[in-house]
Amino acid sequence: MNSFSLLFLDELKGFYKSKVMVFLWVGLPLLAILLHYGSSSDLDGIPLSLLSSLLVSSIGGTLASAMLAVSIIHEKERRTYDLFLIRPLQRWELMLSKFCAVYLCVGIASVLAIVLGVVVDVMQSPLGFEAVFEMIAEPFVLSLAMTGIASAAGVLIGVVSPSVLVGVILVIYIGGNVSSLPSLPLVFGMENSTALVVGAGVVATVLLLYLSVYLFNKKQF
Amino acid sequence: MRCPSCGSVQSVSGSPLESVEVVCATCGKKGRVSLPAEGSSRDTGNNLVVLENLTKRYKHLLALDHVSFSLKPGEVFGYIGPNGAGKTTTIKLMVGLLSEDEGRCLIDGFEMPKDKINIHRLIGYLPQNVSFQSWRTVDHALFSFGRLSGMSDEKIEQRIVELLKLFELSHVREKKVSELSGGMMQKIGLVQALLHEPKLLILDEPLAGLDPESRFKVKEIIKKISRQGTTVFFSSHILSDVQDIASRIGILNYGHIEAFGTLEQLKQKFVSKHVLELEVDHSFSDVSFLSSVSGVDSVEKIKDNVVRIHMRKEDDSDELRNKLLVSVLEAGFKVRKFAPLSPNLDELYQAYVAVEVNA
Repeated sequence: MNSFSLLFLDELKGFYKSKVMVFLWVGLPLLAILLHYGSSSDLDGIPLSLLSSLLVSSIGGTLASAMLAVSIIHEKERRTYDLFLIRPLQRWELMLSKFCAVYLCVGIASVLAIVLGVVVDVMQSPLGFEAVFEMIAEPFVLSLAMTGIASAAGVLIGVVSPSVLVGVILVIYIGGNVSSLPSLPLVFGMENSTALVVGAGVVATVLLLYLSVYLFNKKQF
Repeated sequence: MRCPSCGSVQSVSGSPLESVEVVCATCGKKGRVSLPAEGSSRDTGNNLVVLENLTKRYKHLLALDHVSFSLKPGEVFGYIGPNGAGKTTTIKLMVGLLSEDEGRCLIDGFEMPKDKINIHRLIGYLPQNVSFQSWRTVDHALFSFGRLSGMSDEKIEQRIVELLKLFELSHVREKKVSELSGGMMQKIGLVQALLHEPKLLILDEPLAGLDPESRFKVKEIIKKISRQGTTVFFSSHILSDVQDIASRIGILNYGHIEAFGTLEQLKQKFVSKHVLELEVDHSFSDVSFLSSVSGVDSVEKIKDNVVRIHMRKEDDSDELRNKLLVSVLEAGFKVRKFAPLSPNLDELYQAYVAVEVNA
């Protein structure tokens, strides 16, 4: 197994051990259901699947960004990286494995929340599965694109921030705003908006990750 | 020596470790370099580690100033100096956590940072403050580091059992690292550094935070692995520990190597032929019989049965030593020690560091 796979599996194990996964995988779907059933009449008529997608887009991205930024800053502060950086691996593998692990965790949480919404909607409404699916396809893609950008922004913020406090402030100011970039084609009603959402998500994520890795490579420990 | 400005090769002469002012004959740029320690060579030769003019600046602070020395395979090198002298900076440059501004660091012929991955296969490193991710158990942390160092699971298992037993830590294998005491954490740090049987072990303050028994144990382990051929580079503030295990010592102050060599070589500079230390079998009630010997300047009582005899430089001779010895014997003392004053490492360290402070 190569270093990247080892680090990636390690990160996943870390999330599992530290109960982060439970909060994400149970928390997000649960929050969507609570909002749907415990809401005021303003939310009546909004399908749970759509509500879940919106919730995941807004909360999931911020969560991913905060998790990554805080984890990287914390490990920098405690000098945990020293023992990794003196082993025969590339620095980019450390950052990318963290990104992939968080993106996968938040991505699974998103899928769980949305699938749960779809199941409830299909059971409750006269709309068929296809109609529900069509309704949520775009918000689902958007939520994954936004989570990707937010996660990459979290890595960048983690690399450049001198303290957890600064990191959290940057996540709130920048993470959320940058991750809303892929929603622009939908806001402006552009043609092929789904493809544009995916394109914007991928390009912004790759650029942010590239910058993070570049800065991490230059970093003096 | 290569000019950092134009790259032309310049010849520089001087004694080992001397700091020399150099003017480039090609571009005229002025600079200062420390000449390599005795025994170092431009290629690694039979040296495992070669540091040449290693220099590091933190903004305006010159943390390391043209540091040069070399280490042979299997030796234990003790790196000492006051806080902020540049010990940790040297170590971080050697392991590639920092990048140098000038000079180069060669380990087994590989140059840092160009051949970082190859060097990282050869070294084991214990940082000053060892830290693991808190959710890991000792077993999980060691397995992860072993795998990242390219070891097979069978080999990792064998080494974990062996090393935890050696450090008497087998009972903490399944414990979370966050539950370990500071001393245990330090020892687990040593275990991870030794796990992949590195050729060069770099330890930053390895004995800090350990109780006397553990310090003794760790010193014995360091001696043992050095006998097996591993080169050990360690920094410390505890001079007696350095004296116990280091085959060679480097004293660093304000980013400069002040002294480099075996303890005996270092002592030579401060051994005073004009001061004799005399130890006898019982207490001196009066030392005037020594002061009255012609050629003696003064007599300083150090302990009840130990005195330092300061001789006048012009009168220092074998004849005077003989006269002193006869006086002591005639006064009814039995001589335990009668030799030129030779400082211990504490005194030596103070002397080297004080010389620099006063300069």
